[in-house]
Amino acid sequence: MTIDIALWLTQDAITNGAVYALLALALVLVYTVTRVIFVPQGEFISFAALSLATLQAGKVPGTVYLLMAGGALVALIDGVAAIRAAQPRRLIGIVILNIGLPAAVAGAASLAALRPDNLWLQMLVTLAIVTPFGPIIYRLAFQPLAGMSVLVLLIIAVAVHYLLTGLGLVFFGGEGLRSPPLSDFSLHVGVLNITAQSLWVIFSSIVLIFTLWLLFEHTLYGKALRATAINRVGARLVGISAAFAGSLSFTLAALIGAIAGILISPITTIYYDTGFIISLKGFVGAIIGGMVSYPVAAAGALLVGFLESFSSFWWSAFKESIVFTLIIPVLLWRSLTARHVDEEEE
Amino acid sequence: MLKHSLLLASALLASLGCGASAQEITVGVTLGATGPGASLGIHYKNAFQLFPKTLGGHPVKYIILEDATDPANAAKNARKLIAEDKVDVIMGSVSVPSTTQVAQIASEAKTPMIALSPVALPPDKLAWIFVVPQPVPLMMSAVVEHMKTTGVKTVGYVGFSDSWGDLVLKALEQHANPAGIKVVTNERYARADTSVTGQVIKVLAANPDAVVVGGSGTGGALPHVGLVERGYKKQIYHNHGTVNREFIKVGAKAVEGAIAPTGPLIVPEELSADNPIKKVASEFIQRYEQTFGAGSRNAFAGYSYDGFLLLNAGVPGAMAKAKPGTPEFRSALRDAIESAKNVVGAHGIYNITAKDHTGLDNRARVLVQVKEGAWRLMK
Amino acid sequence: MSRHVAGLAALGLLVAAPFLLSEFHIALMNYIGLASIVTLGLVLLTGVGGLTSFGQAAFVGIGAYTSAVLTTSYGISPWLTLPAGLALIAVIALFLGSITMRLSGHFLPLGTIAWGIAIYFVFGNLEMLGKYSGIAEIPPLHLFDKPLSDGREVYYPIWLVAVSLLFAVRNLLDSRIGRAIRALKSRGTMAESVGVDTSRLKIIIFLLAALLAGTSGWLYAHFMRYVNPTPFNINSGIDYLFMAVIGGSSHVWGAVVGAGVLTLLKEWLKDILPKLIEHSGNYEIVVFGLLIVLLMHRTRDGLLPFLVRLLPAGEHPKPPAAAESLPERPRPANCERMLDVCQANKRFEALAAVRDLSFELDAGEILGLIGPNGAGKTTMFNLISGVLPADSGEIRFRGERIDRLPAREIARRGVARTFQHANILPGMTVLDNVALGAHLRGSGGVISASLRLDRADEARLLWEARMRIEQVGLAAHMFDLAGNLSLGSQRAVEIARAMCADPVLLLLDEPAAGLRHLEKQKLAALLRDLRGSGISILLVEHDMDFVMGLVDRVVVMNFGEKLSEGVPQQIQRDPMVIEAYLGGVNELVA
Repeated sequence: MTIDIALWLTQDAITNGAVYALLALALVLVYTVTRVIFVPQGEFISFAALSLATLQAGKVPGTVYLLMAGGALVALIDGVAAIRAAQPRRLIGIVILNIGLPAAVAGAASLAALRPDNLWLQMLVTLAIVTPFGPIIYRLAFQPLAGMSVLVLLIIAVAVHYLLTGLGLVFFGGEGLRSPPLSDFSLHVGVLNITAQSLWVIFSSIVLIFTLWLLFEHTLYGKALRATAINRVGARLVGISAAFAGSLSFTLAALIGAIAGILISPITTIYYDTGFIISLKGFVGAIIGGMVSYPVAAAGALLVGFLESFSSFWWSAFKESIVFTLIIPVLLWRSLTARHVDEEEE
Repeated sequence: MLKHSLLLASALLASLGCGASAQEITVGVTLGATGPGASLGIHYKNAFQLFPKTLGGHPVKYIILEDATDPANAAKNARKLIAEDKVDVIMGSVSVPSTTQVAQIASEAKTPMIALSPVALPPDKLAWIFVVPQPVPLMMSAVVEHMKTTGVKTVGYVGFSDSWGDLVLKALEQHANPAGIKVVTNERYARADTSVTGQVIKVLAANPDAVVVGGSGTGGALPHVGLVERGYKKQIYHNHGTVNREFIKVGAKAVEGAIAPTGPLIVPEELSADNPIKKVASEFIQRYEQTFGAGSRNAFAGYSYDGFLLLNAGVPGAMAKAKPGTPEFRSALRDAIESAKNVVGAHGIYNITAKDHTGLDNRARVLVQVKEGAWRLMK
Repeated sequence: MSRHVAGLAALGLLVAAPFLLSEFHIALMNYIGLASIVTLGLVLLTGVGGLTSFGQAAFVGIGAYTSAVLTTSYGISPWLTLPAGLALIAVIALFLGSITMRLSGHFLPLGTIAWGIAIYFVFGNLEMLGKYSGIAEIPPLHLFDKPLSDGREVYYPIWLVAVSLLFAVRNLLDSRIGRAIRALKSRGTMAESVGVDTSRLKIIIFLLAALLAGTSGWLYAHFMRYVNPTPFNINSGIDYLFMAVIGGSSHVWGAVVGAGVLTLLKEWLKDILPKLIEHSGNYEIVVFGLLIVLLMHRTRDGLLPFLVRLLPAGEHPKPPAAAESLPERPRPANCERMLDVCQANKRFEALAAVRDLSFELDAGEILGLIGPNGAGKTTMFNLISGVLPADSGEIRFRGERIDRLPAREIARRGVARTFQHANILPGMTVLDNVALGAHLRGSGGVISASLRLDRADEARLLWEARMRIEQVGLAAHMFDLAGNLSLGSQRAVEIARAMCADPVLLLLDEPAAGLRHLEKQKLAALLRDLRGSGISILLVEHDMDFVMGLVDRVVVMNFGEKLSEGVPQQIQRDPMVIEAYLGGVNELVA
């Protein structure tokens, strides 16, 4: 292996690691607030990337209709609850949020589909389509079961993953899609050819990691949000309901997923089922971070990127075997050194 | 305890099915339009919408089951089709493992089968199985011949980490080695991988005279684009699984010049007028694109169609001997297909013999190249 | 229809099924049987033991591939490949288990995903295993030279194996080891305190689950007669976990329900969806995901508990019959030094919970350890019982140093304890909870329990438990779930459990908390009886009235240090103690 090759592989590792880091962040976020190991996180990536590519093809992606359907379902459930609770005034808000907003997004999407050259508009619309899936999924699938064991929540998460993957296939078909980059600019540093897109990926990752770290580890509100996972009553005392905290964390996770999807869609081919393996690798990164620390999770994700890049050079047929086998000693080390939390459940 | 089994068993009892009506031919189909083979399976399945209501002039019923590209599911479907629906013939599936699994069950049940993908069974186990697609070695021979004419001495291989990747490599080696062409790399990747940089660099480091990509559909584009981005200027070959419009859409400018073997149905417009395949392929492609959109042509739908044509040719002979729904009919159908001669399909001309259950020759392969964003016949 | 009748009827149907069902439905039943065996392992490992594994499909694969290679390449009889496959799985499972079973919390499921994926790619890349295309033409099982190739013919072998294994696991869970396994999930600390080696037990259940999966894999290879990597990938691993959770992961029969429901659900969707939606295919997985979410929302603990509630309960079980008494530990001689704590220290970061604490306890003595809240009493308890290691100092039990020993080794030497917050298994009966205390006094192992060869041993343990339950006055609640008892009764369960261990030193952490006056009197009488029978007692308690009337001596702690020591009358007059208890003056004089 020459220095050049090592440099190339390192560059690849950092770009991939940055994507895994974004996922790791979202997973840590959702887990710390809701105890849900959010397997479908990767579907936000594929939904975003494929919706963007569909918009560029001048078509309105199926995710828009899904958004409207999901919103309507939430409106129905919340609406019935509001009427039962004899609070009909809440209905207005419920309708605006769950029916009005998706309708507006649908309008924007049909507009964006007509402007194939306006990439920025399409990216914004994609964010607007994908991000609301976070709170909708939380409301429909997880909120009613908030107190259940981690295992039950995990099973629900896997079921939601199946559901979304299946819908992805219906909306986007079995073939992969790829979008054009924001710019064709690239930088030559020695043997390396650094594209603007990969810089975007790394830059966005760093900014998001730093922001979340500030928010959750250095503000009272962020700490209170995290506390809801451990102590629901306590969080309520400082004015945060578990349902709100859960909804917020899912919204952020969906937003992060959508950003990641938009960022990588010009770098690689995305399929309806790409999300699972990416989120699994992000998950590994998150676990290395002990599911609680943002910077360590990001470092873990980077480690996964390196393992993957170098093993795909040395022994590509066994790449996944190598990546996942090498993870086990790391897990063991983390498990033994992580501050012992008594996980005993009732 | 065990009370659940009670419920379960009674549910089973309640759902007992019934057989097909007499005189109607029943074709059981298992395909994977979901799961890892979805991109192929959807096309395979689409083609069935275009088939007429008769087979060899007799009414036919197709029972299409989904197997999600999972051999265990495909096996379940095969057992169901054979035991429950008493099908006269089975067609399927999308991946080599699924098709192999179904083939084994069909053989045991002495039910003829039209295999829609290659089968990993030795030829002497194929008595009841007829394989529609061109054997992979037949296709790769066209690639190797082209390499010989351009003086290629070393070739790099990047393929899927699945049975398709194994199959293309094996076929490549089978023809390249005698031709004095050395396969210098065997790199693997998964369709859904987000990066193939490591594999691409490994190939570049070996600096072969040409590269063969063993992927399918858009999955073939990732290493191709990676190689071109890193400055690889020599010829990149693909295989017949890759030839579709989406591949070019995803690969864009980078895949310009890519060469792949495929069946004639991809380029019916460019076939010479005296080629008997031209008419069959043109008609099929026209109808397919009418229903599923311009440019939606692909090899996989063609395999379903050729499977139909083979059955269509075999049914009259079998009908003369026995009634559908009987073991005699199944056996007669097998015999009839085995003696099918000069069946012109969209992919080639089938001359099936007891020894060769595919029966295709060099007329079933053409080389196509991406020119100005479309697959064009290489003359 | 009572539960027993329903069970027998189901078993009857299972036997009659090949005569009633069509060939395809028999094939489906075969699939269900195969999946049930794997899921059964997950019920044991995940549902009961609390260890989530996504990797079971990999073990199915190892079992299937071993047999496939040995029968096709080497012509070995399938009956011989089963032990070979199981031996290989045992080696691999012991290796993987020794690593992954150390993982705690969410590290564990990820660890299992990791090797589940790794093994899949190994299957796909080995030339010997036919790479991704797999191995075809695997011979069927033969019975007296007759091949079992037809679905009807393999039905009985599959279900015979499945049902026998189901009964074996049920038997296992209803035994000495089974009680310990049931404690693993939520009561690891308590299990260690009654002498259970929890890390060893975790590896044992991991091994059992892997062997079950391997057995299913062996059957799979000879039923499907073709293996390739796909059925053993991580998605199948997820499916097995689905089956366990949906069926009801804490019940053995939930494995069959889960496997059945999931298999039939998928088949049913395949039939019904094309009729509802034209050119469907793509919607099956969508509807499947949706139904699973709805199912979990409706049943939560899985389908089996949900279904069981629909059937009336069977007759009330009878209390365990008299059996040979368990041998008792010789009681220490009078005035033997039982416990000698010397300069013990324990810090939690900045907080010194126990500081240079020394005290002794002699045989036949009740020593009260008192002090205000946060004085370090419970920490001291944990140091003695081995739950926490001491930072420095020595703790000797009957002259032997125990401060470096794990809790279970201390238990083995005759120290039993209760916990400040009643540490019982709420979902288990009082009898089982108490019998757990006698863990070290029984000898029944995994194999003898599965085959019900442990009944004499078990009868002695249950008889002992019954006597202890009667002793603490809970005879009427013997078969109630411990979680349904009042707080006071739960404490009594803990004391009975501790007594079951035949201790010579009993550590009681606030046994009187939550008890009513009469109950306290009874408890005091019981403790005096125990002292009379030669058991020494160390007591942490807040209720001064209770302590002062009962104990022989008192050690007072404050801020982790010993404040005072002496007979009750002396302590009650000690101005330093009164000062420390400032708010509790009235309590002291009362």
